[in-house]
Amino acid sequence: MLLKVKRLLGHLLWAGVAVVAAICLGGVALHRGEHINSTWLVLAAACTYMVGYRFYAKFIAARVMALDDKRATPAERLRNGHDFEPTNRWILFGHHFASIAGPGPLVGPVLAAQFGYLPGTLWIILGAVLGGAVQDFVILFASMRRDGKSLGQMAKEEIGKVAGFTSLITVLLILIILLAVVALVVVNALKGSPWGAFTTAATMPIAVFMGLYMRYWRPGKVLECSLIGLVMVLAVIQGGEMVAGSPTLAPWFTFSAVAIALALIAYGFLASVLPVWLLLAPRDYLSTFVKLGVVAMLAVGILFARPDLQLPAFTRFVDGTGPIFSGKIFPFCFITIACGAISGFHSLISSGTTPKMITKEGHALPIGYGGMLLEGFVAIMAMVAASVLQPGVYFAVNAPAGVVGETPAAAVATISSWGFPVTENDMDTLARDVGEQSLYHRTGGAPSLALGMAHIFATRGGRAVMGFWYHFAIMFEALFILTILDTGTRVGRFMLQEILGYAWKPMGRTSWMPGAIITSAAMVGAWGYFLLQGVRDPLGGINSLWPLFGISNQLLAAVALCVATTILIKMHRAKYMWVTLAPLTWLVIVTYTGAWQKIFSPDPSLGFLAAASKLEAALRAGAVPAARIAETQSVIFNNRLDAVVCGIFVVLVTAILVDSIRNWVGILRGTREARMLEAPYVPSNLRADEV
Amino acid sequence: MRQVRKFGRLLWGLLRELSDESAYERHLAAHGRVHSGEEWRRFSEERLYARFTRPRCC
Repeated sequence: MLLKVKRLLGHLLWAGVAVVAAICLGGVALHRGEHINSTWLVLAAACTYMVGYRFYAKFIAARVMALDDKRATPAERLRNGHDFEPTNRWILFGHHFASIAGPGPLVGPVLAAQFGYLPGTLWIILGAVLGGAVQDFVILFASMRRDGKSLGQMAKEEIGKVAGFTSLITVLLILIILLAVVALVVVNALKGSPWGAFTTAATMPIAVFMGLYMRYWRPGKVLECSLIGLVMVLAVIQGGEMVAGSPTLAPWFTFSAVAIALALIAYGFLASVLPVWLLLAPRDYLSTFVKLGVVAMLAVGILFARPDLQLPAFTRFVDGTGPIFSGKIFPFCFITIACGAISGFHSLISSGTTPKMITKEGHALPIGYGGMLLEGFVAIMAMVAASVLQPGVYFAVNAPAGVVGETPAAAVATISSWGFPVTENDMDTLARDVGEQSLYHRTGGAPSLALGMAHIFATRGGRAVMGFWYHFAIMFEALFILTILDTGTRVGRFMLQEILGYAWKPMGRTSWMPGAIITSAAMVGAWGYFLLQGVRDPLGGINSLWPLFGISNQLLAAVALCVATTILIKMHRAKYMWVTLAPLTWLVIVTYTGAWQKIFSPDPSLGFLAAASKLEAALRAGAVPAARIAETQSVIFNNRLDAVVCGIFVVLVTAILVDSIRNWVGILRGTREARMLEAPYVPSNLRADEV
Repeated sequence: MRQVRKFGRLLWGLLRELSDESAYERHLAAHGRVHSGEEWRRFSEERLYARFTRPRCC
């Protein structure tokens, strides 16, 4: 009887959550006219995620993957005290989340807000439940059953050798575009900002101090050292205000976009060849703690401030004429928000450290699926932060000079003519409040996210603390983007060495200094080229690089879902293959349409080839001033290069897709053997206190 | 109160895991060694080398 009552109460509770989710989603989707409160978005996401986790994820865990807690995981079977170690599920959840959460879920939604808050919000909510979390969960499960093998190894063994090598090349190319685009975000946040530049530059000597502290003065005291580092970083943010206000010091820290880009390239190279303990590791520790702390602070801030959204549900730019990036709502809303809804890069984490530390198979559910839902929640918070800004301010900050005009007068006139009123006085006051000289044309999403975060954090304290919180947010974004930049360059160097090692053995030895220097230079040269291309782009760089990054990241997700579907079919779960096949089909439609439009669209603001042809025609007609001929020729070349890169991504992923479909058809027809490559079953012997 | 203490322990455990301090403790226990500057440097080099050869998410 008691059991029946408990079950009934459980059903009622979940029905209540589902009703709240439906009301909030309906409210968010149908509300027009007056501003709505951010609580609607937060509740819609939270309740949908809870329902998705309770029903869809548990269905996948029980029916599709048949997780078995009696089966020993690699952490138990291969326990070595290093990589393979049974770990508390919530600790591993935090560890996994810290690895998957980067700037993507923060910047993507801010950029996609140009369509209004609604399309991005719905995509983040539904995409995470049906796509992103499924991908992370299934890949984590597959890797866990294969002794923690990587995505590339699984692609090679489950699909074929071509898929394995192709995925290695794909990841390397994506890494190059990723590093260029995140570096561009930092450049646009720090150009002409002495406060931001000083704070970010000061994190380098702080990291070196921390490196020496942990290695020689207090070996092993990482937490203690990170706390000291955090206090020092907060002190330099405060000090940055004095630097920005000093007529002597401010010019020393006021840099052009090109100067910051070159400094980042030099930094990436140094970080790749210097010992990791000196610069990379201390920055990484600090950045991880700051990242988790700021995400928690933002959640608490939104909960307490409950700000109204100022952006409309839809803007006029759903038609593809957006100033931040060109392209219609389909497919570009779904490409712009990758991390936060579905990100291929997560599959590299789900087949990296995490599967080697899972204690019980059942823990893959909260860690793989739940971790992605939390990232979706971070993306919702970023969407809220962008949407609390006045639309006119949002567009003035994010729109490039090439679209709205160079001067403040031209920019506010253009933006106001779109129906988003903003005045020069509004922008000057805001810039003064946050301690900046100007906030126009700060493309990339980071400054508008920082403004939104400052707006939320400064609910208590008012304008007097806006400057501190704005620069705190900028420092936070720069800190962990630079961590991705230095780590990514080093990882790219190793991947390049692995590929070159096939041709010439010594190149594959990571400890061989000439090889390390050559491959590091090649890696920074590659992403640095794309970064400088973005910096010099009259349309702000984000218009070309962010969609390229989104397309490549989601094509990697398509590769991961190909591997996942192949494994499900081999497990004789073909009747459930729609679980991974549905998001795969969606991604293929979205990314192939996006790639096609970016390469071949006749609209020069969208298509790379059309943009190159338009500029070439202008050159031939003599319409380009002599002083800008070289620059125009370089923009023409870059547009064609972007088209080629985009085409290469599509060709590589098509090769994997075709190989996968051949496998699926063969197995389903019975003409190909469904060889299972799982580690053999071993019963778990873990004691209750070890779980 | 017990729940708060449990949450605190969990948070502390997470911070120690993220900072590699727990992994270092496991390393000492697994190899029967005691903490020293030299031992930390040996552990840290191995651990960091592995960490910075893996891609990070965006």
